Amino acid sequence: MTATANHDGRAPWFARFRAGLPDRIDGLCLLALGSFMTALARSRLYWNFLNPKFSHLTLAAGLLLCMVALPPLLLPRNGRETVSRLARQVLLALFLALAALAWRDAASESAPGADASAPSGSLGQQPAAEPEAPVDLNPVVDGVPYVRLNLAELYIMLDKGRKDYPQHFALRAEVLRSPRLDERGYVLLRRIAVVCCLADSLDLRFLTRGEGTQALKDGDWVEVFGHLEPIADKGEDKGLVKLAPKGEGPGLALTNPKFRIQAERMERIKNTDFPYLFEFREKPPFAW
Amino acid sequence: MDQSAFSIFAAIVSSIVLEASPFLLLGSLLSAVLAVYVGDGALARLSRRGLPAQIGMGLVAGLILPTCECGVVPVTRRLLGKGVPPGAAISFMLAAPVVNPVCLAATWVAFQGDWRMVAWRAVLVMIPAAAAGWVLGATRSADLLRPSLAMAHAPHADECGCGCGCGHDHARPGFLQGLPEVLRLTGREFLDMALFLITGALAAGAFKAFLPQSWLGLVSGNLWLAVPALMLLAVLISICSEADAFVAASLSMFPRPALLAFLALGPMLDLKLMPAFLSVFKRRPALVVITLPALTIFVLCMSLGMAGVIK
Repeated sequence: MTATANHDGRAPWFARFRAGLPDRIDGLCLLALGSFMTALARSRLYWNFLNPKFSHLTLAAGLLLCMVALPPLLLPRNGRETVSRLARQVLLALFLALAALAWRDAASESAPGADASAPSGSLGQQPAAEPEAPVDLNPVVDGVPYVRLNLAELYIMLDKGRKDYPQHFALRAEVLRSPRLDERGYVLLRRIAVVCCLADSLDLRFLTRGEGTQALKDGDWVEVFGHLEPIADKGEDKGLVKLAPKGEGPGLALTNPKFRIQAERMERIKNTDFPYLFEFREKPPFAW
Repeated sequence: MDQSAFSIFAAIVSSIVLEASPFLLLGSLLSAVLAVYVGDGALARLSRRGLPAQIGMGLVAGLILPTCECGVVPVTRRLLGKGVPPGAAISFMLAAPVVNPVCLAATWVAFQGDWRMVAWRAVLVMIPAAAAGWVLGATRSADLLRPSLAMAHAPHADECGCGCGCGHDHARPGFLQGLPEVLRLTGREFLDMALFLITGALAAGAFKAFLPQSWLGLVSGNLWLAVPALMLLAVLISICSEADAFVAASLSMFPRPALLAFLALGPMLDLKLMPAFLSVFKRRPALVVITLPALTIFVLCMSLGMAGVIK
């Protein structure tokens, strides 16, 4: 430092800049992550990663990270770049690249339906269960009264051993087919339920049969009007649940082992803009 | 939902980090506030109490200082640095992510008001937390913490919070005077811990995206396999202690002792915490906080299951 000092005894600006560079890079890392979180919290793609009810928390944390970045950026302290410091800076940069990639993928997947039906980008807005939802939560079809609910709500009620589930219900789901289920005349109906974030998501599924199921394609979205039937441990039902495929998505795949859906009526619907379920109620009105 | 495995991996890693970051930031902020505004003597008074009292305070401190596992390590590190006895700090670190109102309420809701699950979960966490506090209670803080982690950017500055580097204890700064230093320390602490958070998230994402899930179904019917399998799952998927009860409740094909093992171990040991423990603590204490909870929970859950106490 003394060798490069100016006549007034102060180190030249580049020497000072260099001495504060590790601190500035730390500040940049914090600012980049904070900006990413702030932008994501305000984006309509937030639900691809986390339950929308957390968007305010993400926004607050993002803004706080941006504030925390200011001291090292504007008033850096001299220090040297250590291996551990460099490692965390590199890892954070890699994470941001990965997150940007995930954001891009989410944007490209959402693109076809990303129009007026999507949330308007307003802060913390929870996606409606289905944007084009009919208001009638208790439709009557061919004289039969149905209760609209979402697949996770039905799954949770059954999982808890409750007997007060609707006798006839309507729900929306994605179709999943497999050759082994095709042979038995079944398809799987699935929805991904997210409590906090994608890591805790559950891919909840029901074996489903009924008229019209075999005409469906993998990935179709349908509204099913139907009722539940128990799956026996013997006879033609034996080993049925084990035929259901695993995986195929981010959530832990669970096929209901005790009940199947007997479809009475099935309608193809437009691909939903929000394939994940974030809200589950245990009594009417359901968050269908 | 037509996603490739890599897209799923990227989304899961991102979601874990984004979910945990606010809590890690909160823990870092709390740690910085302790460093700047709280005098060394204030918390060190705890050490005058006996070890059982220290452990007892550590176990229930989460009820008034709710902290999830994402933020608890920086807080514990700072508490130790401030002179809080290890018996209290270690038991707090292991118990607080579960023994706090938010987590207990989430468990209660997920298991439809089943108080036994809530109580057993708390008990199964408090026993190994107390045991770890007991084992490490007589250790000096200097023998617990590694000095090398980036907390050592400017050791005195961090300990004291004043940043002057002059080597003596200062009067505590006022709120506004200390604020820039609180922000600086928060950022530094957050970056230190984010390294381990991201490492753990990468591992957990790889597990969820690339490993087949079918192995879970193969082990669910046998207690001897189910308990270790769900313990392994808890470590591998690294989900938040506020959400894990909902995942456990959905794994109804598993026996309850296995679900309790999942619920008890996850907040104490997962892929986010393990690298943090290994970097913050020296080798022996790190091994204690990693192995003791795992072994204790395995033995307790197997015993409860085989004795038929929990079915």
